[in-house]
Amino acid sequence: MELARLARGGDESAFGEIMRRYSPRVFRVASRFFRRREQAEEAAQEIFLKAFTELGSYEGRGSFEGWLTRIATNTCLNILRAQKRRPELTAADLTENEGAWLDNQLSDAAHERHRAAENAVVAADLADRVLGTMSPDDRLALTLVDGEELSVKEVAEMTGWSESKVKVQAFRARRRMRAAVEKLLGR
Amino acid sequence: MRDGHVIEILESGPFGALDEAKLAEVRAHAESCAGCRRAYEAARVSSLLLRERAEREFEPPPFFQTRVLAALRERQAEQDWALPRLWKAAGALFASMVATVATLGALTFLAPGPTQPEAVAEEVTAEETYSAEESILAQGGGADEEMTYDQVLAAVYESSDGGAR
Repeated sequence: MELARLARGGDESAFGEIMRRYSPRVFRVASRFFRRREQAEEAAQEIFLKAFTELGSYEGRGSFEGWLTRIATNTCLNILRAQKRRPELTAADLTENEGAWLDNQLSDAAHERHRAAENAVVAADLADRVLGTMSPDDRLALTLVDGEELSVKEVAEMTGWSESKVKVQAFRARRRMRAAVEKLLGR
Repeated sequence: MRDGHVIEILESGPFGALDEAKLAEVRAHAESCAGCRRAYEAARVSSLLLRERAEREFEPPPFFQTRVLAALRERQAEQDWALPRLWKAAGALFASMVATVATLGALTFLAPGPTQPEAVAEEVTAEETYSAEESILAQGGGADEEMTYDQVLAAVYESSDGGAR
């Protein structure tokens, strides 16, 4: 890729063009990991800084987007690993809206539920809080495999993990998340 | 489904990827099994939460590129500044090591040697050379006189007290 070669040689405008083209992709990756916009922005900045320093390792064999996505995924994972994991989420920690949302999922009228915007926000926040109690690897596996329904192969390419590791990680993470949600539903 | 329950099905893959036949099997079993019903509901809600979460995406803010380029310049400037400092520090360390080695060399070859081993031996005081056994042997009385165990201990303690003083 010509832009990568130019940027590697110190051409700032070429790197600016790379950022312009791939920022949406990088933000999409960062959004999977971080709940707050400012966290996602900080992560995206770190991803581009890291990509710049590692441009020399891009040999042009695979797609540049794939290469950058892997850097983005691993940078976000490392940021999460450096953070303290939240303690277990209990029913007492739920907000009123989150409790109501969970109750609504169990009600008989569940089929008629409409996906109101505020419900989606409550669900996404609750998902973040449950995921926040899990390990970064569990979070990643669940978000990509179960949340975005990516294939095991795609996740393996994004993370650099083996396909077996993706499957095992997703299996264990799924079990842990189910147990956590079961506790909240049974409150 | 080795034990007749459906948890294995729920854990085999993403809930959203279960086909209708599997879902029907799970639901039918969950009707009569409280444990599997709880697991089914939890798996369904988990899947819903994850899919809602996956829909949340942030867009790059305005001036994001400008900000990153500024951070990049700042980081490069830090590196440009840090490298000469590192070399300078390494140079100073190397110079001090050379000076130390030269001083030690000079002391080894030019300065008069330390006292000879015999002289060192002479410096050791007679008091220090006494061992507990020698104290016992130096006790009054002939060598052929037998000492009791208590006498031996008393002599040893006396000698060690004397040494401490």
